Amino acid sequence: MTYFSSWEEFEKAAERLYLSDSLKCRFVTKYRHCDGKLSLKITDDKVCLQYRTEHAQDIKKLEKLTGHLMRHMASKEK
Amino acid sequence: MLMENDAFLTELTKLFQKGKTSGSVCMTIKRYDGRLKPKPRNGNVPEPNEYKCLVRATLGNKKITTVINHKDVTKFQMAYGNLLKANIDGLKKKDKKAARGRKKAKATQ
Repeated sequence: MTYFSSWEEFEKAAERLYLSDSLKCRFVTKYRHCDGKLSLKITDDKVCLQYRTEHAQDIKKLEKLTGHLMRHMASKEK
Repeated sequence: MLMENDAFLTELTKLFQKGKTSGSVCMTIKRYDGRLKPKPRNGNVPEPNEYKCLVRATLGNKKITTVINHKDVTKFQMAYGNLLKANIDGLKKKDKKAARGRKKAKATQ
């Protein structure tokens, strides 16, 4: 699966994939300080969505999405 | 290694510091239904009344894990967010204009 070029699309698709089967999805954040690169991945082992960035302004968006997913994961909702 | 939420955050900060020179820090978050035994073969899994969140982080061969309960999620999520913001500090800042200005200034000198 190729990388998404826009954050908005990645975010939307990630949330949709997560909600389709929340117990199967994992969300991976990989950070390489030495290269200054950050890559994100969400997958249910069938579909894999990826996004990568080198820009500091994406950290805030990442924080928001991570918080959002984390809150849902540890909730009572299905 | 499974640890408490606070200990996990401390260790994660250490991983980030170690990862400054080389290597990648990986963090995975996943929904967790709290089961400690494998799924029974007949597929009868009791519905958990509350889900948890499993957080794993690795750097090289060092692995740390924590489980977040529903009642702790707000606290952890905020601390985790702040930790990410503080430690992911090697990306490019958004001062393209300033950078361009500087380059131009250098070129004209």
